[in-house]
Amino acid sequence: MMIRGTAASEGIGIGTVKIVTTSPRDIEYYAPENKADEINRYNEALESFCADTEKMAAELSEAASEKEAEILKGHIQMIRDPFVTSQITDEIEKGSCAEAAAEKVLNSVIEMFKATGDQLTMERATDVADIKARLIMHLQGIEDVNLSRVPSGTVIVTDDLTPSMTVGITGDQIAGIITAKGGYTSHSAILSRALGIPAVLSVKDIMTSISDGDHVIVDGSEGLVIVSPTEADSEKYAKKAAEFAEMKRQLQAFKGKPSVTADGEPREIVANIGSPADGVIAKNDDAEGIGLLRTEFLYMNRPSAPLEEEQFEAYKKVAETFGDKPVIIRTLDIGGDKEVPYLNLPHEDNPFMGYRAIRFCLNNHDLFQTQLKALLRASAYGNVSIMIPMITTVDEVREVKKLRDQCIEDLTREGKNFNPDTPLGIMVETPAASIIADRLALEVDFFSIGTNDLTGYTMAADRGNSQVQNLYSAFDPAVLRSIKRICSCAHNAGIPVGMCGEAASDPALIPVLLAFGLDEFSVSHEKVLSTRYNLSLWNKIEADHIARHALARDSAAGIRRYLNDKVKRRIRK
Amino acid sequence: MVNQQLKVSNSQGFHMRPATMFVSEMAKFQSSVTIKFNGLNVNGKSLMNLIAACIKFGSEIEIVCEGDDEQAALDKAVELIQSGLGEE
Repeated sequence: MMIRGTAASEGIGIGTVKIVTTSPRDIEYYAPENKADEINRYNEALESFCADTEKMAAELSEAASEKEAEILKGHIQMIRDPFVTSQITDEIEKGSCAEAAAEKVLNSVIEMFKATGDQLTMERATDVADIKARLIMHLQGIEDVNLSRVPSGTVIVTDDLTPSMTVGITGDQIAGIITAKGGYTSHSAILSRALGIPAVLSVKDIMTSISDGDHVIVDGSEGLVIVSPTEADSEKYAKKAAEFAEMKRQLQAFKGKPSVTADGEPREIVANIGSPADGVIAKNDDAEGIGLLRTEFLYMNRPSAPLEEEQFEAYKKVAETFGDKPVIIRTLDIGGDKEVPYLNLPHEDNPFMGYRAIRFCLNNHDLFQTQLKALLRASAYGNVSIMIPMITTVDEVREVKKLRDQCIEDLTREGKNFNPDTPLGIMVETPAASIIADRLALEVDFFSIGTNDLTGYTMAADRGNSQVQNLYSAFDPAVLRSIKRICSCAHNAGIPVGMCGEAASDPALIPVLLAFGLDEFSVSHEKVLSTRYNLSLWNKIEADHIARHALARDSAAGIRRYLNDKVKRRIRK
Repeated sequence: MVNQQLKVSNSQGFHMRPATMFVSEMAKFQSSVTIKFNGLNVNGKSLMNLIAACIKFGSEIEIVCEGDDEQAALDKAVELIQSGLGEE
């Protein structure tokens, strides 16, 4: 049986299913004989729940997953609420068993939270549901899922990977992961990729279509799950797995090596990340720095904006992870498409062409300057650069610089430690920025090309819209010409130009990007080594030749075909 | 019984982290702590009830303490709220 899901983490996993349940057994409703004993039983379960949760929080903290650790610590505080304890004890006195008492009381707390109609409070209801499930499991003697003890060759099948489950997980015993929920950017996906475990997510009915002990093949590169494979399937995938392992092994040869072209010309290969914890993963994957640290993680899923100190600590962490290597941090890039209630962003019909990113920040000086100050202070602890998203005019850049200069005055007055020469650059991701790139290059210290949005705006096509998806392509001559122009303008003004969109790691585009003069390639952490490999394939003369011929073609499809052919021939050699 | 009225001045109000800090400090006192808000009487020692009360920035509240150490409890509660409940 073959099932499709979302390819979340590449590779082939072959193994035996272990279904991991995060819900308790059905509760037996009975009246315990000895109420005092029952209350003791509750208290013991409460203590073991808190001790286990404490341990998990500590392990998550060590792994730099501070946010997950905080969530778990909050659980301890909630379950120790004296109101909750006294209500549960009352229920036991009235003749309930501990499980039923806990269920009743915590369900009423969940209802109480839901009834407020307040979005943030209603989100806490999910926490209480998680606590309820785990506490009842403790009472039922079901051990907290300990994935570090499973036999080798286990394929985990679960609803969703929760923070508590992921503690102690290593890639050694777990051959694959299949979940019912989650997309490419979900916690489950990010974790699977970080651990190098093949994963297929969003397989809606997986919990009912598969059983403990089933043999299964997980194709995380294609997003396929094959249950009870035939001999033919097994042979085919064993071969695929071997090829994949061989490729990974060959790539390991590039670890610790400089990133150079076939001529020995150096380029920077750095990573795109979304949090300080990702920074550690990127470093382990041999990234030579960070080409894009998205800062939205600091602003989302909370009731109010982060203050200077909290931001400073987060940026400092990433800066220190990389020492003297560059860390480019992008200022807040958020809009009406994301849920951030305290920013009071109006609902827009067209958020991608609306009040977002730098437009919002230039209208909210307090918020923006808090971020700028935190960034300037963090730059005293490493090699930090500030990058502004969604620029469309020279005036915007000049205003940013004015606000930045005010921050420098403030920080000097406050006697705080910071680097006054922190480089300031922009993302070039709008057609306007591409067209006036010559003027913009005179105003900033570097460019980073955001091909994801640049492609969408240039081709006037939404990548998520299946009817026009075929138009959205970085191989389109319009997009390639823009990239070429942006690179030339940067070099004419003597500033470096990098790229942080997906195009930077595309093997077929690398010779073209080299020809255009791209200095820095910022890619997803797991693509660092493969990008280094692809870079090493081309010398300047070939790259120029290939770029010229590619641009002579009229269509994205034609250009892609040509480039793919070139890459195939080169790899064969 | 002692009481005092004041305004909540930290941006998050009595949300998760500040509420947790408040209840762990108030747990040290023997007196009962009640927060009157919006016509409700909220148990100031219960994290769950504080969160459910949705006391936000700018809310006008009244703290009522009753017990042997009521004055100390009230002073502490007022001090915590006026200093922003742990927010910088």
